[in-house]
Amino acid sequence: MSTLEDSVEFINQQPRCPCALILDTSGSMTGRPIEALNAGLQTLRDDLQNDNLAKKRVEIAIVEFNSAVRVVQDFVAAANFQPPTLTASGYTDLVGGINQALDLIQRRKSKYTSNGVPFYRPWAFLITDGKVTEYEQVARRVREDEQNKRIAFFAVGVQGANEECLKNISVREPKMLAGLNFRELFLWLSASMKRVSQSKPGEMVPLEKGTWEAV
Amino acid sequence: MERAEPQIETHTPSINFPRSGGWQLAVAQQRGTSHETTGEVCQDAYSLAMLSPEVLVIAIADGAGSARYAEAGASLAASAGVGQLCARLGEAGAALDETSLKDILYEGLGAARNAVEAEAAAREVSAHELATTLILLIARPELIAVAQVGDGATVIANQTGKIIGLTLPPAGEYINETTFITSAEALRTAQTTVWHGRAARLAAFSDGLQLLCLKWPECLPHEAFFSPLFHFIGTTADESQAGDELGRFLSSERIKDLTDDDLTLVLASLTDCPDGC
Repeated sequence: MSTLEDSVEFINQQPRCPCALILDTSGSMTGRPIEALNAGLQTLRDDLQNDNLAKKRVEIAIVEFNSAVRVVQDFVAAANFQPPTLTASGYTDLVGGINQALDLIQRRKSKYTSNGVPFYRPWAFLITDGKVTEYEQVARRVREDEQNKRIAFFAVGVQGANEECLKNISVREPKMLAGLNFRELFLWLSASMKRVSQSKPGEMVPLEKGTWEAV
Repeated sequence: MERAEPQIETHTPSINFPRSGGWQLAVAQQRGTSHETTGEVCQDAYSLAMLSPEVLVIAIADGAGSARYAEAGASLAASAGVGQLCARLGEAGAALDETSLKDILYEGLGAARNAVEAEAAAREVSAHELATTLILLIARPELIAVAQVGDGATVIANQTGKIIGLTLPPAGEYINETTFITSAEALRTAQTTVWHGRAARLAAFSDGLQLLCLKWPECLPHEAFFSPLFHFIGTTADESQAGDELGRFLSSERIKDLTDDDLTLVLASLTDCPDGC
C-alpha cells in the first residue's frame, strides 16, 4: 500500500523575502572599509547558504553608488548569490542610489504579483559613510514607502557618516557601525532575513539588537 | 517572584465510543523544524468534540511565534471555543438556521477571546503575548458551519468529489500580515460560512500547510493534495492507525523540505449510519 507521502502532491511555492542592499562605494570607502564590506558580503552569502529554507526564500539585490549609480546585482535567490568585489572611488550619489533601489524593489514586487508568488515586505538596507545635503525628495519617498508598508528601510552609518541626514531619511532609527564590524553586521542581517523569511504568515518578527552597533 | 507556568491540558481526541456511522476522524500535529532547532514548543493547538456521531466540533489555533505565551493562547482559545460551541449546540431546541449558527460561531470566537484576555490579565501581560489565530467548525451531515480569524483554511469535498474551499487565508499584500483573535478587528473581520449540503470529506489545518496546498494568490485548493488525503480518510478503518499515518506524513522529509512551521491537520469523513442519520 502506498503511503500518503508518496501519493500527496504539493505546490512548491516558496514565499520570497527580498532585500536590496544600497552600498556606498565612494572614494572615502577606499582601503580597509571597502575590503571589510566585500568580506561582509561573503559572510552574508555563506551564512544564508547554510539555511535550507532561507537560501530559497531570501533574495538579494545590490545597488552601489559613488559618482554614478549601478545595479551590481539584480534580485537573485540567496542560493545563487555570488558576491561581487566592489571597488571604491568618486563622490557619493546617495540619493540616486536609494531611488534606484526603490525602483528595483517596485519592479520585483510587480513581478511577484504577476506571477502569483507570495512575498514578505521588502527590505531596503543602506550602508554609507557619506554626507549629502540635498535629500529632501528622496527622504519623503522613503518615508511614504515606509508608512504605506511598501518597504522596510534600514540605514547603517559607517564612521564619517552624517547621522542627522540618515535620521531624516530613515523612519527607523539609523544605526552607526562600530569600527569596521561589517562581519557582525552582515551576520545580523542574515539572521534577521532568516527570521523574517521563516516567520509564519501573519506576524511581524521583532529584530534582535545587533552586536555591531556603536553605542 | 516568578509565577509558575500553569499546566494547560493539551486536547487530544478522546472520542472512542463505538459508532457505526457519522464522522471518522484522523488528526496529526507536527512541531515545526524551526522550533525543533531552537527547542521551542509547538505553538499550534486543537480541540475536538463529538456531540453525537453526526455532530463534530473542531477548533484549530495557531499561536503567533512573536507572542511570548503563544502556545498557552492557542490552547486556551481552542478549548474555550469548542466548549462554548458544545454548550450552545447541546441546548435543547437550539435553532440551526444559518443566522443562529453564525451567532453560535461568533459566541465561540468571543469565548476564545475572553479566555485569552483573562489569562493575559492573570499573567499581567498584554493579550498580544497570547496572540493566536482560530478556526471554529461545526460539522453536521447536512451542513458545515465555520468561522476563521487569521490564517489557515477549511476545505471539503462534496458528494460528487468536488473540492471546495470554505474558509481560506485572508488576502494581504504580504504573507506575514494577518489578524489574531486578540486583534481589535478580530471579530469584525472574521470569515464565517455556512455551507449547506453533505460534505463527504473535510480538512481543516493551520497555516503551516497553506503554501503547500493552496495556489497563491487566490488560494485555490490544490486537488492533487486533497484528493489522496480525502481518499485516505474515506477508506480508513481505524482512526488511531490513520492518525499515526497522518503523523508520519506531516513529519516526512518532503514536507520538512518545504516548510519549517508547526503543522496541524484534521481530516474527517462522513460515513452512512445504518439508520440513515
